[in-house]
Amino acid sequence: MGMKLIYLGCLSSTKYTDTCENAIQIINKIDDEYKVLEEAPCCGALAYHITPDTTLEEHVNLVNDWFKKNNVEKIVTICAGCYNYLTYYYPKYKADEFEVVVEHLLQFMAKPENIDKLDLKYDGKKLRVCYHDACHLRNADIPIIDEPREILNSINKVEVFEMENNKLNSICCGAGGGVYATFKENSDYNTKSIFDQMRRGKALITACPFCYTAFKRVAEEENMKKPIIKFEDFIIKIMNGVDPLK
Amino acid sequence: MSEEGAKLYDEVKEKVETLKDEKSIHRKFADIWRLACIGKYRSFDLRYLYDDTSREYVEKYKPAMIEAKEKFLENIEDYVDQCLNVMEKTNKFKVYYAKTNEEAQEAFMKELGDNKVIYKSKSLEAKDAGIIDALKENNIEIKETDLGDVLCQLLEYESPSFTLGPGIQFTEEEIVAKIKERYGVELEPKAEKIVKYYRENYRPELLNDVKVSLTSANAISAHDGSIVLIENEGNISVLTRATDKHIVVAGISKIVPDEFDALMVAKLQERITNVDAGYISIISSPSSTSDIQGTRVFGMYGAKEVVVILVDDWRTEAAKENLFYKDMLKCISCKSCDFVCTASRAFGNIYASKYGIGGINIVRDYIHNGIEEAVKDGLFLCTGCENCTNWCPAGVDLAEMIKNLKKIATEKGLCPPTLKKYQEKIIEDKNPFK
Repeated sequence: MGMKLIYLGCLSSTKYTDTCENAIQIINKIDDEYKVLEEAPCCGALAYHITPDTTLEEHVNLVNDWFKKNNVEKIVTICAGCYNYLTYYYPKYKADEFEVVVEHLLQFMAKPENIDKLDLKYDGKKLRVCYHDACHLRNADIPIIDEPREILNSINKVEVFEMENNKLNSICCGAGGGVYATFKENSDYNTKSIFDQMRRGKALITACPFCYTAFKRVAEEENMKKPIIKFEDFIIKIMNGVDPLK
Repeated sequence: MSEEGAKLYDEVKEKVETLKDEKSIHRKFADIWRLACIGKYRSFDLRYLYDDTSREYVEKYKPAMIEAKEKFLENIEDYVDQCLNVMEKTNKFKVYYAKTNEEAQEAFMKELGDNKVIYKSKSLEAKDAGIIDALKENNIEIKETDLGDVLCQLLEYESPSFTLGPGIQFTEEEIVAKIKERYGVELEPKAEKIVKYYRENYRPELLNDVKVSLTSANAISAHDGSIVLIENEGNISVLTRATDKHIVVAGISKIVPDEFDALMVAKLQERITNVDAGYISIISSPSSTSDIQGTRVFGMYGAKEVVVILVDDWRTEAAKENLFYKDMLKCISCKSCDFVCTASRAFGNIYASKYGIGGINIVRDYIHNGIEEAVKDGLFLCTGCENCTNWCPAGVDLAEMIKNLKKIATEKGLCPPTLKKYQEKIIEDKNPFK
């Protein structure tokens, strides 16, 4: 039996350590054999669109060797970018040699037996939330679109309020492609459009740390009252029976 | 990053800065463009009086559209031959096959002869082939006929605009002020009054004075050589009929296997843009009559001559060599990629090339003018969200093409420094955020 790895991704593990803790707690409640390994290398997703194929392949080899060295058999990642990249570029470069089974946290959680294990209950007033479809999840080789909705709607009294641009047609937060580092004006405009579409939704939930970063900045600048919440954080609050909006 | 790269980067930054100024050209365009995108997106789910929404309609015909385009690409040379043959022999068109843009420009100037004025519809393909630039160099008076383009000419607007509503950013007040200044006519600042003015003053000229007209083609049937053109104003109807010589300039990529595929292109465009294509012209020969003793005489009421200049330039090579921008050959210019583009919504006509707004025109600029131009056009404003690819009714993977351009730019040292730093940190430190 190989190892079951929780792959946190470079952004979350560096900047959002609380969320990482929450994610680990959720994953371990379902299956306590999943572990985090120190010094996990970045998957490379952030620069794939500017990196020549040969360099990409070298990096994929390096990360894959690291997986092999640690006897990794299964991965649950909490990052949208890692999921997209690990499920597309790694099989592309390594073909049959890439044997790791990669899942995103949302897929992992949405399995009926796993949702049951989490036993998500909410006793407050009826709560409508918006879910933002991150590009990396909806465009992935195996798209993740229904899973987050299934999870959220499975929670008693919680309901997904669909925004006008949703699923395959969601508006990009403006942080993709490293544009956020260079031209923040993209997320200035597009994030506001997303906020405008929330209407009756009381919170904006995202499963992508890059989207979260973009949303959070603009929300603070715009003094937005409705909270932006990472998927893992929302679920943990529900599990702990505390107000998920605070 | 090279010095050239830093310069291009600063140029884009400077343009983006102007978005903060409400009166700047870019901001004025972005304001109306953003509304247009939202409106277009909403209209995909409207039913009007049809049974289906535009979204459903497009989804229904998408597989057939992709199949037609792929069939063409696989047998590009055969289809071009077939098309040229039938156009010349059956349709009695005068046909040029221009291997390069230069050949197309030469053919066009030859056909123009001594004429010093050309009346044109949008004709993006002529722009692509460098014919518009060639006309300007030769001091030919270019008369636009689409009202939006007429207004752009009137207001001397040179920035990239939206093909389907090129003058949409001008207010009624701006337009009537300019009309007064130019023609000494005072008009009430109302759309109806401005349209009435052009109908009364420009329409007679179009009906009586056009000797040579230029249009592009929305699609061309390889099977019977028919040229399909769609429009809502009636300017193309006039230009293709009330003229002596109608010149069609189109890339060979406008060819589809048969006339029903061509009509499908037209109908898809209509539903995607949600502008009623009031008129669809299917032109299969110059105007002619055989009413006198069965003798066929050309030039009854419509065009005496139809000249078709089919431009290859980069196209066959792209298809045969499987170049990364091969998908450009599938594009039907419906603009759906623009409506849903994150960069386009945020940056309007800063994310654009001289061929028009949006990523597809940045790829076009790269093909003709190289990577530096593409970077200057705002290549790195794209977030790679892939909405363009998801929406394309013809299977164009625009996101992949843009990604390739970014790689080419980075290799040439033209990638923005912040982004380049991420890449270096990933490769060296295995974590870009540490």
